[in-house]
Amino acid sequence: MTTTRYRIAGGDFDSAGSASGRLKGWLKRVGAESHATRRAIIAAYEAEMNVVIHATAGEMRVAVSPEKLDVEVSDQGPGIPDIDRAMQEGFSTASPEAVALGFGAGLGLPNMRKHSDRFAIHSDAGKGTTVNFTVYLNSQAAVADTQNSIRTLSENCHECRRCLFACPTSAVRVHGGRPQILGHLCIDCAECIRACRWSALSLEGRDSLPADAGGVIVIPPSFLFGFGDGVPFWRALAALNVLGFREIRVTSAWETAFRQVVAEYARQHPELQPVISPICPAVVNLVELRYPSLIENLAPFLSPIEAAYEEFRTEKALFVTLCPSQQTALTRRSYRGGRELVSSDVLRRAALPHLAGEASYDNRPMHVGEIPPVAGSLEVRGMEHVLAALEEVEGGHWSGIEVLEPYVCEQGCFDSPLLKSNPFVSQRRWRECRDRFTGPGRAFRREEPYVPRAGLRLDDDMGRAIEKLSKISEITAALPGRDCGGCGAPSCEALAEDIVLGRTHRWACLHLGTSEER
Amino acid sequence: MRLRRIAEKIGAKVLTGELGLDAEVDAVYAGDRVSELLSRASERTLLVTNLNNRQILVLAQLMDTPGICLVNGHVPEPDMVKAAVAHGTALIVSDSGMFETCGHLYESLGEETQSEE
Repeated sequence: MTTTRYRIAGGDFDSAGSASGRLKGWLKRVGAESHATRRAIIAAYEAEMNVVIHATAGEMRVAVSPEKLDVEVSDQGPGIPDIDRAMQEGFSTASPEAVALGFGAGLGLPNMRKHSDRFAIHSDAGKGTTVNFTVYLNSQAAVADTQNSIRTLSENCHECRRCLFACPTSAVRVHGGRPQILGHLCIDCAECIRACRWSALSLEGRDSLPADAGGVIVIPPSFLFGFGDGVPFWRALAALNVLGFREIRVTSAWETAFRQVVAEYARQHPELQPVISPICPAVVNLVELRYPSLIENLAPFLSPIEAAYEEFRTEKALFVTLCPSQQTALTRRSYRGGRELVSSDVLRRAALPHLAGEASYDNRPMHVGEIPPVAGSLEVRGMEHVLAALEEVEGGHWSGIEVLEPYVCEQGCFDSPLLKSNPFVSQRRWRECRDRFTGPGRAFRREEPYVPRAGLRLDDDMGRAIEKLSKISEITAALPGRDCGGCGAPSCEALAEDIVLGRTHRWACLHLGTSEER
Repeated sequence: MRLRRIAEKIGAKVLTGELGLDAEVDAVYAGDRVSELLSRASERTLLVTNLNNRQILVLAQLMDTPGICLVNGHVPEPDMVKAAVAHGTALIVSDSGMFETCGHLYESLGEETQSEE
């Protein structure tokens, strides 16, 4: 990954376009596809012109890897009071000078969104605006970018195959002593990590705290109770102080704001009820992969941890993740800046030595408030129940429920396989002290649309896909149907698909062809 | 059709000499909004516009657009012509308005297609 930055002068129409011009030169030199370059330049030029037209100064920051281009254009300007309105075609606040030059048609932001693969905008009235967008540099990258955050450690694998059967989307294979995750099918739900007894599967990411840890830290509530029953929550906070964090925030603040906007959205859109709350990123992945017809029911907001990430975008901040789906949701957001991620487990180990020390938590401002009850919302927890609920909603069997709030883990985020403490005990301890940790947190609208994932598609060409499908049923019928996992695939049908797609051979089956084919 | 031929057919004045006139053009986009021109411009597009300013040139350069046709007989600043030459963007001017110019372009590109058939 290479990065660079270009300065943009506000109000200077004469040199406007130079940042985009330099970006173009850069992309030509790395050999990006011309279609991708074209889209990137359209989005970049629109963003640059917005700075020139509206702001006093700004900057374009660019990061490029072989797969994608991430651009962030930020400015010191008046900000946008109403982003929803600004995103509509035809809305503009450009000056007469800009209009005379052909700008101000109110197409800039929509153009940026149209010509990028991911787009986000963030604005503080009176301070400035930041636009982030990503363009995939080759057509394969978009598919490959359905990345996950599950790390496999072959040397620990005992081929017990528990993970095979745990995965709800048949994304795991175990071949030759190695667990393997099919990225296009993986929804980052952590069921395989939970099933693994040998630590052959874990969360991708750093193994220790950043060397210069400090600034803001955003933790999930469960972190406070991760050190055993005898350790009160303030000791955990004190340990974080010792580690150098000056401000400790708990994600529950953003959760409160998030629930409110989702409930409000559901009230405004009765035709979309039950609105599906995107609180659990793994559920969002699941809907995009398996239930594309429910995509319109997903409320267009960032999950609480993504919102926190958005809110501290200009600060040095560390975000503590509980599962692969949170990890992926944050790494996918373009331009990292001073923000870093660490898993709850790594932070726990770093905090352990500081628990017993002299230090006491100095009671920094903790915002006191009530969590308002959200009417009409129904929590559904646990993978099996979530799958059943989504099936039922898809079948139109639900009525009278405004919001469905699904979590793939049985006890929500208190039940992450990364946590060592009993989820029921942690939840009770949290209920006793959570009033100290609410607000202020903001909700953020999600500017990038939810998109169906092509993971289940057998072939780009529908005719060939149908052929493959019939081939799969043919082979499945010939297989013993024991779903024993001996071949390394979770079911006979999955093996048949692997055979047809060339991932493995027919003789992988232990039961088939012992006489003739072997 | 080559840009040279297009300029001849619609009777437009060429301001940038021989430069870029051999470029092959197979699409024309006319408009006075930067965002629209931007999302339609390509390396085979002729842009037709009233926008007689440096920004239209920057846009053409960013999108590798071979030529710009100004309408209504607009006379660009000498600096703008110089910048167009420096980058190799052909600048032509039609004395007719947008509507008429487009009519001529439509006819001549249509003839071309028919003669190819």
